[in-house]
Amino acid sequence: MRVTQGTFSFLPDFSDQQIHEQVQYCIDNGWAVSIEYTDDPHPRNTYWEMWGHPMFDNPDAAAVVYELNECRKVYGSYYIRIIAFDSTPGWESIRLSFIVNRPANEPGFKLNRTEVKGRNIQYSMTPYSSDKPQGSRYK
Amino acid sequence: MPDGDKKIDAKTRYSAGVLEYKKMGYWEPDYEPKETDIIALFRITPQDGVDPIEAAAAVAGESSTATWTVVWTDRLTACEKYRAKAYRVDPTPNNPNEYFAYIAYELDLFEPGSIANLTASIIGNVFGFKPLKALRLEDMRLPVAYIKTFQGPATGIVVERERLNCYGRPLLGATVKPKLGLSGRNYGRVVYEALKGGLDFTKDDENINSQPFMHWRDRFLYCMEAVNRASAATGEVKGTYLNVTAGTMEEMYKRAEFAKELGSVIVMIDLVIGYTAIQSMAKWARDNDMILHLHRAGHSTYTRQKIHGVSFRVIAKWMRLAGVDHIHAGTVVGKLEGDPATTKGYYDICREEHNPVSLETGLFFEQDWASLNKVMPVASGGIHAGQMHQLIHYLGEDVVLQFGGGTIGHPQGIAAGATANRVALEAMIYARNAGKDYLAEGPAILAEAAKNCTPLRQALDIWKDVTFDYASTDAPDFVPTTSVS
Amino acid sequence: MKSEHTEQEPQQAVSEVNLKEEFQQSGVSDILSELDNDLIGLEPVKTRIKETASLLLVDKAREKLGLVNEPPTLHMSFSGNPGTGKTTIALKIANLLFRLGYVRKGHLVSVTRDDLVGQYIGHTAPKTKEVLKKAMGGVLFIDEAYYLYRPENERDYGQEAIEILLQVMENNRDDLVVVLAGYKDKMDKFFESNPGFRSRIAHHIDFPDYSNDELLEIAEVMVTGMNYKFNPESKQAMAEYIALRRKQPHFANARSIRNALDRARLRQANRVFNDSKGPIGASFLSQIEDVDIKQSRVFSGGIDK
Repeated sequence: MRVTQGTFSFLPDFSDQQIHEQVQYCIDNGWAVSIEYTDDPHPRNTYWEMWGHPMFDNPDAAAVVYELNECRKVYGSYYIRIIAFDSTPGWESIRLSFIVNRPANEPGFKLNRTEVKGRNIQYSMTPYSSDKPQGSRYK
Repeated sequence: MPDGDKKIDAKTRYSAGVLEYKKMGYWEPDYEPKETDIIALFRITPQDGVDPIEAAAAVAGESSTATWTVVWTDRLTACEKYRAKAYRVDPTPNNPNEYFAYIAYELDLFEPGSIANLTASIIGNVFGFKPLKALRLEDMRLPVAYIKTFQGPATGIVVERERLNCYGRPLLGATVKPKLGLSGRNYGRVVYEALKGGLDFTKDDENINSQPFMHWRDRFLYCMEAVNRASAATGEVKGTYLNVTAGTMEEMYKRAEFAKELGSVIVMIDLVIGYTAIQSMAKWARDNDMILHLHRAGHSTYTRQKIHGVSFRVIAKWMRLAGVDHIHAGTVVGKLEGDPATTKGYYDICREEHNPVSLETGLFFEQDWASLNKVMPVASGGIHAGQMHQLIHYLGEDVVLQFGGGTIGHPQGIAAGATANRVALEAMIYARNAGKDYLAEGPAILAEAAKNCTPLRQALDIWKDVTFDYASTDAPDFVPTTSVS
Repeated sequence: MKSEHTEQEPQQAVSEVNLKEEFQQSGVSDILSELDNDLIGLEPVKTRIKETASLLLVDKAREKLGLVNEPPTLHMSFSGNPGTGKTTIALKIANLLFRLGYVRKGHLVSVTRDDLVGQYIGHTAPKTKEVLKKAMGGVLFIDEAYYLYRPENERDYGQEAIEILLQVMENNRDDLVVVLAGYKDKMDKFFESNPGFRSRIAHHIDFPDYSNDELLEIAEVMVTGMNYKFNPESKQAMAEYIALRRKQPHFANARSIRNALDRARLRQANRVFNDSKGPIGASFLSQIEDVDIKQSRVFSGGIDK
């Protein structure tokens, strides 16, 4: 399957040039760009690991693409995303977030159903990959 | 601007009999509204022979303390303070017998944190008044002092996005069709297909509550099964607006609690439940971490005609105070009424921290929202993927785009319809960010994206010629004119 | 690699280019005129830059016609004494490269060894990378670059910075341009010991010292810029000062002139204050007399502090 989190997941995977364009848009809007990676793609996993701090001061997106490629060297089999943070009052949150790297094989999620009273079911989702411990989920 | 008569001395004022309103103190042309006053702008069409100043004063009077004859009990009160003051009357630009009347109300006239009281005060009495042929509440200025007495939207745009983990693009939704008649199990099928295909939300329609063909509990159970299945299939947070509207408040709470128990992220209510119920539900939503969607059912009965009723912009302001997180606010290019400039005004009211005066979009007052959460506008009604560039251009990024027919009517099925919409949206946002002139190149951008996406290609083929072009019944009075230098 | 360039779609096949038009439209001709008008002297440098500009213009044209595949190497080295205009020219080059579309943003980041090299282990790599990232899209100017190389100290972290620099200069040629600068003899020695740099540098530009007449002209421009003026006597004094100063140690060309003028202003202020009786006008306050210059210790054989 294909985890479709992030703003551009329904489009074909981006080239570095396309990533550069989108990141430049973020920088031009004054947003701080960060790179994050994880091997736990559960949709409510909010805190992916940070690759370095948010880049506040780089005027050109090449810096981000450079760091992304450094990250890929180490975590190329993980999910990596780029997020852009807007600190203006009234927002103070993320304005763009898209996945730029995926594991070669995405097994997907198991839907767990727990039948409780009446006809109710309590649902939870477990990524198949989390059968293995963190760090060895995607080879 | 005609100058009315000033008020007269106390003895004359309070002797029994009938006085003109403008002499009773309701017309004060020199009055400077205070920071804490609530100001209302009415569009008045007086009956033939009625002086506009007198009409404005009458509206002020009848929406505050007056009655048609002088009463001695007035003197038991600080009546100067409690009288609403009409302080300005302007003829409207386009219509000879129509005027804008500005009326200021003292803050203490209103109970803190109560929309019911605000509306009962301002529109509760005056609209049937005989000396007026027609009356419309055009706009209101709400002081920060008053705004701070309200909870405001329970979730707001920023936190909604954080909960859905969805940034940088409009949200996508669809109303389940057909509007009525599906049983719970089949209803859930539509929800599952649409969410799996790529939408973020599906929606109950305003008249789906609990009918013989589908009891509400069954709908909720099957919908949540569908939502969770779709979530596991995509790895995204999904939701469906479960309509908890019912005949009594107690029943509504029961339904909302069940939705919460089942793990829904969002519930829905209709405008027709009434302002008090809406505020209660907003409070409940805040206490239960639930996003609250409002369908503006019934509003067009009083918002649509320009000369009489209440403008939707006022409703939008009331609803932001009352505390809804989503409100239907128009599409511009779809099947329902809404001209681009006035619609922008509605969207600004929902989404901005602060609205400056903007006559061309119908905002007559500067409005500071005092950090109240932002409401996500919802665009729903006759829109399709082929209009994506126009939708983004007119409506921006913080909006829910709902493609009911546009998803479910797709020839390859609901999931294909959903995918078509999602791909069209992402491709358009991508192009916009990359600096393209997406409004002009829209069709080309969509065609390019369609090369990699068969459902989109099919959608464009079927619907590319569908437009809804009718003259608007409620366009702004003030149009910017280019000046020659 | 899109640049904010006024040119058209690169994908379309072009069969002809008009170089003179490109020269005008890209703004390059404006920059070169500015160079001629605003900067005094530096004739060999200006010539070199004009040549380089033509080369880059032609290269761009060839690219448009599909004749070029490899992006050209643009890294440079500037050698010369201090105060000969190296940083100023680096700024102009950054602008030029931006107008021609070789860099995307055209900003200049100016650093020395201390900005690149860390004080403890693990400190250097992130420090160097941060500087490089900030410079991407523009030009990185490294002054006195040879201090990066300290072979006598085996625990020196400069080598790490050198390695990272070399890698980025090679792999990210589209993203930034590096200019190394410093004294000529030290630069030569640096390149000898670090051939990796020499092979990556496409343009070596020499910055000769200013002549005495050029320095006098510079002095006049500076003085006018500060709203002061010479008279014939003080101008003559300035010329004598220059001739003497250049022979004394730590001569820094234009910078020495700037320092001298600052001290002259100090003396002028004192003189005006002590001598003034009653109200005085703008003319008196802006006049630099020869005594203000002649009091310098340069005239008695030693430099001012």
